Amino acid sequence: MNTLQKNMCLEVKSASEEAINQDSVLNDVELAHVSLTLSGKHILKNISFALPNRGITSLIGPSGAGKSSLLRCLTLLCDHWQGDISIQGSSIRRWSGGEDHLRRHIGLIAQKPSVFPTSIYENVIFGLSRKERGKDQSICIEASLRMAALWDEVHDRLHTPANNLSIGQQQRLCLARALILKPKVLLLDEPTASLDPRSKQLIEISLHDLAKDMPLLCVTHDLEQAQRLQGQVIFMCDGKIIEKATAKDFFQHPSRIESREFLRWSVCDCG
Amino acid sequence: MKHMGNTPLVYLLIITGCVLAISCISVLLWFLGDASWQFWQAFGLSPLWADEWYPYESLYGLLPAIIGSFWVMIIAMMIAVPCGLSAAIVSSEILPLSWQSWIRMGMEILAGIPSVVYGLIGLWVLLPWLQNIFDLLTGHSLLAAGMILSLMILPTMMVMAQDALRLIPLEQRETAMSLGLNWNQRLCRILLPQAWPGIRSGILLGLGRALGETMAVMLVVGSLDRVPQPIYNILEPAQTLTSRIGREMGEAAFGSMHFSALMACGLVLAATAIFLSLLSQQHRGRLNV
Repeated sequence: MNTLQKNMCLEVKSASEEAINQDSVLNDVELAHVSLTLSGKHILKNISFALPNRGITSLIGPSGAGKSSLLRCLTLLCDHWQGDISIQGSSIRRWSGGEDHLRRHIGLIAQKPSVFPTSIYENVIFGLSRKERGKDQSICIEASLRMAALWDEVHDRLHTPANNLSIGQQQRLCLARALILKPKVLLLDEPTASLDPRSKQLIEISLHDLAKDMPLLCVTHDLEQAQRLQGQVIFMCDGKIIEKATAKDFFQHPSRIESREFLRWSVCDCG
Repeated sequence: MKHMGNTPLVYLLIITGCVLAISCISVLLWFLGDASWQFWQAFGLSPLWADEWYPYESLYGLLPAIIGSFWVMIIAMMIAVPCGLSAAIVSSEILPLSWQSWIRMGMEILAGIPSVVYGLIGLWVLLPWLQNIFDLLTGHSLLAAGMILSLMILPTMMVMAQDALRLIPLEQRETAMSLGLNWNQRLCRILLPQAWPGIRSGILLGLGRALGETMAVMLVVGSLDRVPQPIYNILEPAQTLTSRIGREMGEAAFGSMHFSALMACGLVLAATAIFLSLLSQQHRGRLNV
């Protein structure tokens, strides 16, 4: 496993000299006074926080709190926001190489798995450029599928259509597809919503392993999952950050009344 | 079927529809076959590659018209496919949503204009223009017919390509974006491959219309029963199967060999159109569209 990961790193690193230089500085993610207004509605209000260099940060809150919008801002899928988002001091708006290059370093896993209508193999390497697809790409594919806890289930049918996989397997395939690009940050938007318990467990195990090397920001409605993921918890409501604490502190001793209400009823009325 | 409910009534309606459709096609083919039987019986398949058409001397070569139809169809497709596809990509992927409905409305209006109007436009605008540019005698040519046809099939092809592109889920586009694919890569690796079945259906539908169009083609093609010399000379006046039928049917006595020969032209056209339609359906089925 370690050998595979090392090989994969070597492969991806050899792809582009520019990418290597960028990789070496990509670490911290910091948001400063980020606000987003869409159609006159304030979606995000002065959001500021930093992700630790490694570990999981769970972003929780009621529906409409702005959690998913925040992820879209981070990947520049939504670019109407004000404020600043930087990765190791470099603003993502002025990223050298442009927004497409930036997105290669930010893995995004959506709530609903979106696989392309092609084989499992092609899906995994979809984000790799021709330059990056070398003779060792099978090693990279195996490594990323292993990291996504999918290798054992699909290694003998890599060239079958990805659409035939179960939803849980498709979600892990999306994870593998993001991981093969060796992202420095992983953003997950309710990655286990509507998955069966087994798939949920497998993904959580993968996230724990990945969090040892990179920061993960995971939007979730599942409070038990946020507890299981440990790390840091950010509670958002009505476009604002209400509380930020470690998972243990947040779930055992929430400091804000809104947090306590949310944990008690899983509802929020903080507008 | 499942979401419609598997009731006997639904099955009955489907079976009735299928039987009706198959019956209509069978009756059409039977009618054409029967009306042209006299011709096939007298000459066999040899008129398909004979190049002289003089009905009063009992010469019924279909080759010039077949070649004319083929060239007109090819020219129309060569112009309409890239233009229609580009227009569909621009309107569905680049222009704002509010513009899309205007463009679609324009295309639907274009599709609804009677073909004779296109023919008249060709007659008064396109022919003098081609005459001047290529120093032709009249401007009547395969190129003129192909250009007019391309304008006529462009709306169908564009609207079908636009629909096919719009059917691709937003998640697929965003997933591709989140993987760092640029616009060109998204277009070539996600949008066009996924929209291809719909685009191909549009092309085959356009092909069918190009093959079957009569009035506009008749006005600009020149109706000269001769194989172009050389065969790729698209600046020569020529004949197509449809324009021959349209032009001569009024002169042919019912039940005569001339009438039967024109029916044979119709049978060739119908068979080609059905073949193209089946080809389109086969691709749809294979690609599960």
